[in-house]
Amino acid sequence: MDKVFRALADPSRRQLLDRLHADNGQTLGALCERLAMTRQAVTKHLVLLEDANLVATVRRGREKLHYLNPVPIHEIAERWIGKFEHTRLAALSDLKKVLEDSDE
Amino acid sequence: MIDIAKFKPRIVYVTYIAASPERVWQALIDPAFTRQYFFGFAIDVEPRKGGAFRLLAADGSTHVSGEVTEWSPPNRLSVMWKAVGMKDFGDLPECLVTYDIAQTGEAVRLTMTEAHQWDAPDDLLSGGRAGWPAILSSLKSVLETGKPLSIKMEPPKEMLAALERLKAR
Repeated sequence: MDKVFRALADPSRRQLLDRLHADNGQTLGALCERLAMTRQAVTKHLVLLEDANLVATVRRGREKLHYLNPVPIHEIAERWIGKFEHTRLAALSDLKKVLEDSDE
Repeated sequence: MIDIAKFKPRIVYVTYIAASPERVWQALIDPAFTRQYFFGFAIDVEPRKGGAFRLLAADGSTHVSGEVTEWSPPNRLSVMWKAVGMKDFGDLPECLVTYDIAQTGEAVRLTMTEAHQWDAPDDLLSGGRAGWPAILSSLKSVLETGKPLSIKMEPPKEMLAALERLKAR
């Protein structure tokens, strides 16, 4: 769990997770496009994310594809969010979404 | 004829479980286990390649049916899934669900891959995106503590809306 928090503590790594959330199963090359990071930096961040089990990789032919793995985050949520809280939190998160969307 | 090489992974989820590969395999194929962590569904599978596969609801109705495409205990189980029991899901193309079990030190690394042969839209995958982490963490909990997680899930609204749009096309 320490590894997950450490991995998430960095904005560049969160940005990489956001990119995979928007478009899952990307190659390193695709991830590097339009990012203000060197390829080496992206590689380094991906290694850390994979080590924290937040990114899973699959070899497909000659390509290595990267996937967002939210299971550790789910496990963290399960640890502190009681079984009775789910509905209330979902309602709050829906409300937040509606209010924030209407501001756009 | 379905060509498995055409299926591209769209969702890949990994969890580490403190159990032996054999126990994890057992949990995947034994209805007494799946009922605890897989939203109450009981698995019914013929233990061989080409065997029939079903997920049964508590009332005995079939939720998912399919065919085993790889049966390699205790390392790899691959099943061609076809959702049948859910309203509106019947016309969806099948997807390939694969579990990989690998020993890593004291623990087992369990990888679930959902692959599709077509460019399934993201909102259509949202049901699986929400469901699999809950299933996998609950499976981990059953094996490590003997108890499933008490997760209540709403029907996947976004996915149902996407199915409606697909039908209207």
